[in-house]
This record gives sequence, structure tokens and C-alpha cells, in this order.
Amino acid sequence: MRFLKLILILLFMAVPLIASAEKAKTIDELAKMYDSSRCKECHESIYKQWENSHHARPLMGVKGGLMLTPLATKGATAFSPDDPKKATIKNFPCFKCHLPQAITSAEDSVAVELAEALLAKDSTKVAKLQITCIVCHNTKAIIHKRELGEPKAGVLYSSKAVDSHPDGIFKKVEKSAIMKDSVYCGQCHGLGPNLEFDQAFQCANLYGSYLHSYIPSGASQTCMDCHMQKGDHLIAPNFNDDKGTSELLAKAISLDVQTLGYEWLLKAGTYVPKVVVNTKITTTAGHRIPDG
Amino acid sequence: MVVTAKAADGKELGKVEKHYHPQATNCRDTKMRYGAQWKVANLRDTSLQPAQAKKESIEFDLPAGVREATVTVDLFYENVNPGNKYSIHSITRKVSLDR
Ligand code: HEC
Ligand code: HEC
Ligand code: HEC
Ligand code: HEC
Ligand code: HEC
Repeated sequence: MRFLKLILILLFMAVPLIASAEKAKTIDELAKMYDSSRCKECHESIYKQWENSHHARPLMGVKGGLMLTPLATKGATAFSPDDPKKATIKNFPCFKCHLPQAITSAEDSVAVELAEALLAKDSTKVAKLQITCIVCHNTKAIIHKRELGEPKAGVLYSSKAVDSHPDGIFKKVEKSAIMKDSVYCGQCHGLGPNLEFDQAFQCANLYGSYLHSYIPSGASQTCMDCHMQKGDHLIAPNFNDDKGTSELLAKAISLDVQTLGYEWLLKAGTYVPKVVVNTKITTTAGHRIPDG
Repeated sequence: MVVTAKAADGKELGKVEKHYHPQATNCRDTKMRYGAQWKVANLRDTSLQPAQAKKESIEFDLPAGVREATVTVDLFYENVNPGNKYSIHSITRKVSLDR
């Protein structure tokens, strides 16, 4: 009798462990696995900034454009499945940067559900898939995996460690080697063509511009120095905010205009009245503008 | 960037557009593409570069008899999809050939 009781307890303890190692089968399960809504309780201002950021709507495009729709539409791209029911994670190479947790933690059934939601223009469902706090502070926090191992369950990573973190699941924060470094953002902000796929394609390649144009100019600020001052998580620009974007760009990009009116002597006796407009544009950015 | 020169009566004397952005093809034909799913690599990049000024010198020849023009330089950021425009700067100058 005692024996049986012991086995039962073991079984009960084993269930949640197995469940957490399993991959998500639905969009809701995947969203729940990386759900960061409870972080809001204690990190309210950061949470609000993030909510308005592009990172909080990586599959929505600018102004809710559902930019992955062609990938779900038969024949529209080389990646599209013939039938949304046959979609797999591989049909969405965009996940590499737009939703990295889908690669590590989702079954192909999530791709089927997403393809169907895109075709049905179900924005509410697509919007559930986000680059959440946990994606950035856990999944993407380690790039030296041979030396440092995989990001651990129950641990957050940041630019500094916190020994006892009062969250129910993430009970401590360890120091990430790269979260003050541009290479951290470079994981998703692109070097050039994505050549590792069987069909090469290119999206963002701004990190390439940072490495090959900004650094050689002798400058050394990081992405965080310019985009995350005082821990700002809006990480602007936010292209859904027309006024804010115009203001930000007006500050970052300067335009100098000089004009001249005169009569140019084409040949003896033939004057051509001319207006010359000399323009000079400079930016304060650490990479090309615009990218992609 | 759009640079327009207009005569005193509002008639357009000339208009020049400059487009600053990276340009990519699919590396199978010579058509430029928009959209990550179709682009493969940049073949030209006219975007604004860090620590480098982008300079233009644009000339308008005025028709006979016109000795004054109003020049407007509009700089805006365009998001082709969904067709959004964000204005950045708009500078207007009156230029005269008389002194
Ligand atoms: C019950 C309150 C609470 C909750 C819930 C909570 N945190 Fe924290 N968090 C804190 C406190 C307190 C600190 C320590 C602040 C300090 O010492 O600088 C902290 C520190 C951090 C840090 C380290 C900051 C640094 O200075 O580098 C990160 C990252 C972080 N939290 C992320 C999260 C994320 C992500 C979530 C949601 C999964 C979360 N927190 C949920 C209270 C909370
Ligand atoms: C190498 C990482 C990477 C891959 C792979 C990738 N993207 Fe992107 N994508 C980004 C980043 C980062 C941005 C935003 C910054 C930028 O445009 O410079 C972006 C922006 C976009 C935008 C513009 C939306 C906006 O808010 O600016 C669209 C549309 C887009 N991607 C579609 C796709 C599609 C479709 C795929 C798959 C075929 C894809 N991307 C694959 C990283 C990537
Ligand atoms: C796009 C990736 C990304 C996302 C998404 C993200 N963070 Fe961060 N976070 C960072 C980076 C990088 C830093 C370190 C910045 C630095 O040290 O300059 C940071 C720093 C922090 C800090 C320390 C801030 C400080 O003042 O020093 C806290 C707390 C934090 N994040 C919490 C959160 C919470 C909560 C969320 C979700 C609402 C979140 N982060 C989402 C990348 C991210
Ligand atoms: C997990 C991948 C990932 C990481 C890490 C990441 N980004 Fe992004 N970022 C994206 C994607 C994807 C988008 C575009 C989302 C969309 O479609 O609107 C984006 C959008 C942006 C934008 C808005 C501009 C635009 O064109 O949409 C800025 C600015 C930005 N990221 C800066 C940063 C900085 C700075 C860091 C490092 C602190 C960082 N990102 C880390 C994936 C990432
Ligand atoms: C020297 C400062 C500086 C550095 C360093 C810098 N940025 Fe920027 N970035 C800017 C400015 C300025 C803009 C223009 C909009 C604005 O003011 O936010 C911008 C715009 C962007 C955009 C929108 C691009 C577009 O297509 O319009 C993205 C995405 C971005 N930065 C990501 C990054 C990432 C990722 C890094 C690091 C690899 C980085 N930035 C480094 C200053 C900087």
C-alpha cells in the first residue's frame, strides 16, 4: 500500500515537468508559454512602452497590414503551402526574427492555425503572437551557447543580475553577456540575405549597415545608447504614430537648402536663366535610413 | 525628396524627385522587388548613410521672360506598404534673377 502511494506522488510531480518541455500545439498555447502580461504589475512603465512598440506586434506589419498573408496564400510566394492545412513552421522563414519562439517551441499545427487566421484576416488571433519580455530576456539572451549553455527555464537575463526576483516563475535574473551590446539586436536586425534557407531572401539588414558603415566611420555607440535611453522599451520609431514619427525623424535628419539664381552663358550671346538648388541631408543614426 | 520650382503665377517650372533607399532584386531577373519574401540581395543603395552627407545640386532652366521662381524642397519618409507618408522637412525659398 505504501508503495503504491509513493508511485502516485511521483506521477503527479512528473506531469507539469513533461508539459513544460512539450511544444505548443495552438496559437493560444504558444502565446501562453511566453505570456508576459504579469510583468506589468511590477514593471508598469516598461510594459506600456513595449505594448506600443513594433516588438509587441511583429506579425501585424505597419498599421495592421498582416504582412505574412502572402506566405499563407497558395502560389503567392515560393514559401506558400498549397493548402493552409498543410502549412508547417518551415513555410514561415520569417519566424527566424519575427517570432523566434515559434522555431523553438511550436508544433507545425501552430503554422496551420496561423495560415488559416491570416487568410480569414483574423487580426485578433495573429496579434497574440508577440516578441514578449520573455523572448528578449530569455530566448535571445545567450549567443555563446557552447560556452554558456542554453537559456535556463525560470531564469531571466538582463544587463545586470538580480539575485531574488519576485516573479512567480522567473525567480532570478542573471547577467547576460550581450544585453548591452549591438550584437544582441543584430540577432534579428539582419546582416544581409538570409542564405541559410533553401530559398534565400532578405528582410532587415540594418545590423550589416551598422557594422560596415557606422563602425568604420570611427563611431562606437550601441543600439541601446541611441534607442533605449533610460531603459526605454518603446524602442522608437513607432510607425503607427504618424506625428511622433515625423517629429523623431525631423530631429534625426537635417536638411540644408541653398539656392542661387543667375544667367548661365551657354555660348556667346545665349544666356540661360537658371535656378540652382543645393541640398544637403545628414542623419544622426548609426546605420542607413531607411532600411529594407 | 521632391524639389519643385514654381513661377509667380503658380505654374510649375520643374520638379525633381530623389529616392533614397536600398534596392534589391530576387537575383533571377532585373526587376526591383519590395517585400522580404521576394527580395534576395541589394544591388544599389541610395539610402542615407551614417556620418555621410547626401548632397544634390539640382538645376532648373527657366523659360524666357521668367525671372523669379519659388522653390520648395519636401523631404518625407515613405512606407510603400500601406502607403504611409511621414513628413520630415519642407523648406520654401524665393529665388530671383534680379538684384
Ligand atoms: C512582483 C513584482 C515583479 C514581477 C511580477 C516581475 N518583476 Fe522583474 N523585477 C522586480 C524587481 C523588484 C526587480 C529588481 C529591480 C532592481 O533591483 O533593480 C526586478 C528586476 C527585473 C529585471 C532586471 C533589471 C535590470 O536592472 O537589469 C528584469 C529584466 C525583469 N525584472 C524582468 C521581468 C519580466 C520579464 C517579468 C515578467 C515575466 C518580471 N520582471 C516580473 C519585480 C517584478
Ligand atoms: C533577419 C531577420 C528577419 C527575417 C528573417 C525577416 N524579417 Fe522582416 N523585419 C525584420 C526586422 C528587424 C524588421 C524591422 C526593422 C527594419 O525594417 O529595419 C522587419 C520588418 C519587416 C516588415 C516591415 C514592418 C515594419 O514594422 O517595419 C515587413 C513587412 C517584414 N519585415 C516582413 C517579413 C517577411 C514576410 C519575412 C519572411 C519572408 C521576414 N520579414 C523575415 C527582421 C527580419
Ligand atoms: C526587443 C527586446 C526586448 C524586449 C521585448 C524587452 N526587453 Fe527589457 N531590455 C532589453 C535590453 C536589451 C535591456 C538592457 C538595456 C541596457 O542595459 O541598456 C533591457 C532592460 C530591461 C530592464 C532593466 C531596465 C533598466 O532601467 O535598467 C527591465 C526591468 C526590463 N528590460 C524589463 C522588460 C519587460 C518587463 C519587458 C516586457 C514588457 C521587456 N523588458 C521587454 C530588451 C528587451
Ligand atoms: C527577436 C528578434 C528581435 C530582437 C532581439 C530585436 N528586434 Fe527590433 N524588431 C524586430 C522585428 C521583427 C521588428 C519589426 C516588427 C514589425 O513587423 O513591425 C522590429 C522592430 C524594431 C524597431 C521599429 C522600426 C521598424 O522598422 O519596425 C526598432 C527601432 C527596433 N526593432 C530596434 C531594436 C533594438 C534597438 C534592439 C536591441 C535592443 C532590437 N530591436 C532587438 C525583431 C527584433
Ligand atoms: C548613433 C545613434 C544610433 C545607433 C548607434 C543606432 N541607431 Fe537606430 N536609429 C537612430 C535614429 C536617429 C533613427 C531614426 C529614427 C529615430 O530617431 O528613432 C534610427 C532608426 C532605426 C530603425 C528604423 C529604420 C528605418 O528603416 O527607418 C531601426 C529598425 C533601428 N534604428 C534599429 C537599430 C539597431 C538594431 C541598432 C544597432 C545595431 C541601431 N538602430 C543603432 C539612431 C541610432
